[in-house]
Amino acid sequence: MIWKLAWRNIQGAGLRSLINIIIIALVMIGIIWSQGMYEGWMRTAERESREWLNGDGRITHKLYDRFDPFSWDKSFEQIPENIQDLVDKGTAVPVLITSGTIYPEGRMISLIVKGIPAGQQFLKLPTAVLADGGDDIPALIGSNMAKSSHLKEGDIVTLRWRDMHGAFNAADIRIAAIMKTPYLEADNGQVWMDLERLQLMKDAPKTATFIVIKDAGDVPQTSDAWTFESIDFLLRDMHAMMKTEKTYGYLMFALLILLAMIAIFDTQVLAVFKRRKEIGIFAALGMTQKQIIRMFTAEGMLYAVFASVAAGILGMPLFIYFGTVGYRMPESYQDFGIEGLSEAVIFYYTPAMIISTVIIVVVITAFVSWIPTLRIARLKPTDALRGRMG
Amino acid sequence: MRKIYLTIIGVIILTALFAEYPDGNVILGRIDANMNARTTKSTTTMIVQTRRATRTMESINWSQGSEKSFSEYTAPARERGTKMLKDGDNLWIFDPSTDRTIQISGNMLKQSVMGSDLSYEDFMEETSLRDNYSAVVKGELVHEGRDTWIMELTAKKSTTSYQKIVLYVDKERYVPLYEERYAKGGKLLKTTRVQEVMQSGNRWYPQKILYKDELKDGKGTLFIINKIEFDVKIPAHIFSKASLKK
Repeated sequence: MIWKLAWRNIQGAGLRSLINIIIIALVMIGIIWSQGMYEGWMRTAERESREWLNGDGRITHKLYDRFDPFSWDKSFEQIPENIQDLVDKGTAVPVLITSGTIYPEGRMISLIVKGIPAGQQFLKLPTAVLADGGDDIPALIGSNMAKSSHLKEGDIVTLRWRDMHGAFNAADIRIAAIMKTPYLEADNGQVWMDLERLQLMKDAPKTATFIVIKDAGDVPQTSDAWTFESIDFLLRDMHAMMKTEKTYGYLMFALLILLAMIAIFDTQVLAVFKRRKEIGIFAALGMTQKQIIRMFTAEGMLYAVFASVAAGILGMPLFIYFGTVGYRMPESYQDFGIEGLSEAVIFYYTPAMIISTVIIVVVITAFVSWIPTLRIARLKPTDALRGRMG
Repeated sequence: MRKIYLTIIGVIILTALFAEYPDGNVILGRIDANMNARTTKSTTTMIVQTRRATRTMESINWSQGSEKSFSEYTAPARERGTKMLKDGDNLWIFDPSTDRTIQISGNMLKQSVMGSDLSYEDFMEETSLRDNYSAVVKGELVHEGRDTWIMELTAKKSTTSYQKIVLYVDKERYVPLYEERYAKGGKLLKTTRVQEVMQSGNRWYPQKILYKDELKDGKGTLFIINKIEFDVKIPAHIFSKASLKK
């Protein structure tokens, strides 16, 4: 009976009820939409990271730190035999890193030189172009690198580097291809060449800085010089950034929920005031104060329930569009070097995300609907019948 | 008559072939004696000539062997107060505009100093030629009006930055008037051209030097020594990190 009465009252409130339902629905759509964006962004970044550079993790030289240029020229060692077996099977890809300088159009640009086997298959890098070009040293760069260095396909540019002993060496390299990669860690400030060629240039045969592993379950025991870095470890900065982004998102939605709840609260306060005679009649007919409070609370909860349905109907086209077509961030965002933003972010919605959002909104709405009804508890039926608030 | 000419030409060729050149390593010792001192204090002007503009910077410099050096830029106003300290393998720069000291390392060492043709790692080079190279005199040449030995220097250790250097050394003053620095693979990387030489006591020293990174565009960087004192007493605190912020 309580739910029936609540439903009638909602109907009776007409436009006011409709506005409340739409406001709550919009907040729900916003929360689910943004959570879907963060989840999709994270998944895009993780997929790109796996496909382009990190596989299922890396066996990395213990001295290598990608943020510490100090470490680049001393963090390499001969590839252990058991890892070389994986490389030979095609389930691991060694990468050697050194620092260098190029001189396009007489300008000097410091960069990272990365060596990777031209014949590797499992990373998406188009390394086939690095295959021996005779006297030429073919090199591969990303489109961002090409843009910042003004290099084009076919350009010849002088590269200067130090070998493993510290002696300067220099040679001309040919830009064999410019790749479009969404994974900026394989693009910005670096040039790729064949691993054997770089080993020769560095006078460091059979060495690598890290070895990308196709399947983390395959990681063999290695000496203390190497350490395994899982994909979660490699993406830890991304996770940390996403956590911060989500926190900002939650704060924004807490604010929106607050505004929606003020509307509900206001509606309830007004309802309790306007319907004091009705409350008195209910009390006179034998309804307990608890039952009356429950009825008003049920009304509030019904707003949230209807809002959930409305959010499903109104939000579905939006969710489907962003879940299939995705959202491409403006070009300027790509300059920030944030992973996962170079290609369209396909939004990803999980059942847990949707259910938790509905539950949170329903519970908060119920709570906000319940607070104004506390006055009913202090109301005498006689006063209520006379239209007084006690 | 024809026989006489042929005989003269033959004698010249034979003389050239069997000419006794001095020991290159001895010459390197003489160059080191000229160029290196226990300590130096100098005021210098650096003129950076890029494709688009020319910038002039002045500095006061202190050095102790090849291990330690300290420079303070005094002009132009924009660079005034910028300081650079080298201590062994470490190099720090103090930027007064941010009041920060940063250590120059890794890739940053490859960057040019104030846009010049000199990189930070050039400052880190060993200065003793005798210790690092073995030299052979390959010939002689009149270079810009001075008689010079053409010398080819080969690094003694594989860790030396430039594995091959060619020098034109003034026969009388033992100052390298022209220098070519090569990459291991034979590519010319840098040249140094001494335009003026000065005498300080019994030591000859380059006064005006044009450094050129041969891989870069531009006219090179002109380095002028306005004043230099050798073997002066330098307080130890000059070469400390604390002096960067003073």
